[in-house]
Amino acid sequence: MTVLEDPSRVDDEALRADRRGRLFAAMGDAGLDALVLGRPAEVAFASGARQLWTAGSRPFGPACVAVRSTGRVHLLSVWDEDVPPEVGHDDLYGLSWNPATIAASLAAIPGLRNARRLGTTSSSPGFPRLLAAAAPDAEVVDGGPALRTARGPKSAAEVDRIAAATGIARTALAAMEAALRPGVTERDLLAAYLAAIAAAGAPTPPTEGVACATPATGPVALRRIAAAVPIEAGQLVALDPGGFFRGYEGGLGRTRAAGGAPSRRQAELAARCREAVGAVVAACWPGATGSDLVAAWEHSGAPLPPEPLAVGVGLGLEPPVVGAGLGAAAVLAAGTVLAVTGWMAEEGAGGVLHRDLVLVTEAEPRLLTEDA
Amino acid sequence: MSLFGPGEGTATVGGRELPVDADRARMRAERHARLQDQLAAQELDGLVLLGTSAVAYATGAAMPGCDSGRAALLRAVAVVVAGDEHPHLFTPWPEGAPPGLPADHVHPAAAPDLDDGAAALAASLGVLFAGGSRLGCDEVPHPLARALDGVGARLVPASGVLGPAKLCKTVDELACIRRAQHVNEQAMLDVQPLLRPGVTQTDLSATFLRRVVELGADLNGIDPIWQVMPRSLADGPWTVHGDVAFPTASAPRALAGGDVIWVDTGIHVGGYASDFGRTWIVGDDPRPSARQLEQFDRWRAVMAAVLSVCKPGVSALDLGRAAVAADAARSGGRRPWIEHFYLAHGVGTESAEMPLVGTDLGDAFDEQLVLAPGMVLVLEPVIWDDGAAGYRSEDILAITDDGWAALSDHPYDPFGPA
Repeated sequence: MTVLEDPSRVDDEALRADRRGRLFAAMGDAGLDALVLGRPAEVAFASGARQLWTAGSRPFGPACVAVRSTGRVHLLSVWDEDVPPEVGHDDLYGLSWNPATIAASLAAIPGLRNARRLGTTSSSPGFPRLLAAAAPDAEVVDGGPALRTARGPKSAAEVDRIAAATGIARTALAAMEAALRPGVTERDLLAAYLAAIAAAGAPTPPTEGVACATPATGPVALRRIAAAVPIEAGQLVALDPGGFFRGYEGGLGRTRAAGGAPSRRQAELAARCREAVGAVVAACWPGATGSDLVAAWEHSGAPLPPEPLAVGVGLGLEPPVVGAGLGAAAVLAAGTVLAVTGWMAEEGAGGVLHRDLVLVTEAEPRLLTEDA
Repeated sequence: MSLFGPGEGTATVGGRELPVDADRARMRAERHARLQDQLAAQELDGLVLLGTSAVAYATGAAMPGCDSGRAALLRAVAVVVAGDEHPHLFTPWPEGAPPGLPADHVHPAAAPDLDDGAAALAASLGVLFAGGSRLGCDEVPHPLARALDGVGARLVPASGVLGPAKLCKTVDELACIRRAQHVNEQAMLDVQPLLRPGVTQTDLSATFLRRVVELGADLNGIDPIWQVMPRSLADGPWTVHGDVAFPTASAPRALAGGDVIWVDTGIHVGGYASDFGRTWIVGDDPRPSARQLEQFDRWRAVMAAVLSVCKPGVSALDLGRAAVAADAARSGGRRPWIEHFYLAHGVGTESAEMPLVGTDLGDAFDEQLVLAPGMVLVLEPVIWDDGAAGYRSEDILAITDDGWAALSDHPYDPFGPA
């Protein structure tokens, strides 16, 4: 097995070519002449470029355009650093604050003007008018399904990167475990987490919601905003680190007791949660639906976790999302990687979070987060 | 005398002094009142906001820092109903709902980017709004657009409401920005001494990210930038306009003695962003060359010129002209800022927001943008003497009732004191 290094460089040519091939194939199947992408993960998938990471979601804008007739991918980038060579200088368009300039940049993209069916992955009330200036004859449709078709099933190389990202998360888990003792706070654990992933060369977190201490008495809730309250001996603390490797997300969630071994009651709760997650993982076969995963969890008798039970993982999170009111009809395909998050809470014990990553295959569900 | 730092006397905005600590309840109430005023003025029935910073502004909700993909799938949503005393918050993080928001205004998470989630959100909106309502939206994913078709809503850009509301900050917003900047600056006091040959960019990030959390940051907003600048534009990277490439992303790349580093970071406190920018030099005892000091001198001259005209009633075009004039003798008339950016930008719940000064929106835009009390400017002139790797720093000020007040306060080592 090759050891993957350098979590932050532009990824290999073969992987980029494979992704691009999948993108244009999916566009062809969906009858899309062009696809306008806005979200960083989509742009990374289509272009292979490494972009500056910023937290949070931003309004949708045309950051990348794939044109089927030319087979070219055009990218909003002022420079060619961290842009792979198949996206040439002619394919780059600059940053602008001026809608007229943005429209002109789009209009200059070869082949876009003649597009009849144009997909976007999101929109805003002002966006269709901007797009109409660049592609006046195009019918604008939802490009999300085509992109999901392309992104959903992972190649072996992509799974390797998710595993490498999980390796970074494991390093961070060890750092948080080392920092966890009575008297520290969730914020201290977050600080240890961020320092650990940065020291591994990958400073950007999937989420900063990585530590949750739960009370050993009274009501228990899963929280994701780190508190500055000292953790007491005997509290269960959910540690849920993630990491990125060349844009691919990995991670795992485990629960530890502060200041020593968990009580018997806590250990039993943890075992039940692990088993329930294991049952969901075992249900992750091609053709299984979101309802099947929910049923597998409910067999434990515990209520559904407050967060989605299963979410797709690739270049960050992606559909399907399975949970209360979500994704019941979603059908799993081979090659999908899911993060399965279990949560069980009990007054007098605390809360247990257990998160595993599973790869759906024709042969069997393959766990990517085995404990050593 | 320092170029930039806390001045003498009392700065006021709208007759009110800037508090040391923000009164966050008052801040939320005043923001909500502004949104309501704008809704009324523009005859809108409400807002449906999905973007992270817009939700933070409209609701005051705290959220964990998240990657953009996650933030667009598992997000908080703000709904503002015209005439309602409080905003509605749909959130995966109920612990982040601000105190004082009534329980019937805090809802389970919505998932407007998924068909089933969008249908559920549209059903909730159908309860809050009558059919045919005019709603301001910042982003409308296709599933939400389809679901809203069913309730007959008419959608317009939310920017018409958010823009005017956010443009001039309240004194509590200014206090939040100053606090965020202070946390950012304090962390840098522990990072800069690490800037020795062999340290990597991501090593610097590790110390920075640990320290900002210890010092009270709510979240980190951007992968910290420690860009090694080329001596000359010809050294690349290639750019679409021929000007300098900045900011490029960090990596586990070792720095060498004498490397000129442009630093740019941003963290959030109380929903508000900091923006820290400095030029550093790698070395055990870094000393800028005469040419590098000359660039710093020019940068100071540009700052001094801009600050000398900075007060209510002055236009953004006036600021740009003052900056150009101050450096014209040595630049040949080149604008002292980066082609794809600006001389100055605002900061608030977004790291860059209006007012923007010197963008490609053009002189006519800048001329009608007139400074008013409460506006925030992050001044970021750039001096580029090709061959000497350039000088760039950022400082933040608020326009006050009679001038400006500094919101940043940090030395310019190794180029000089504050």
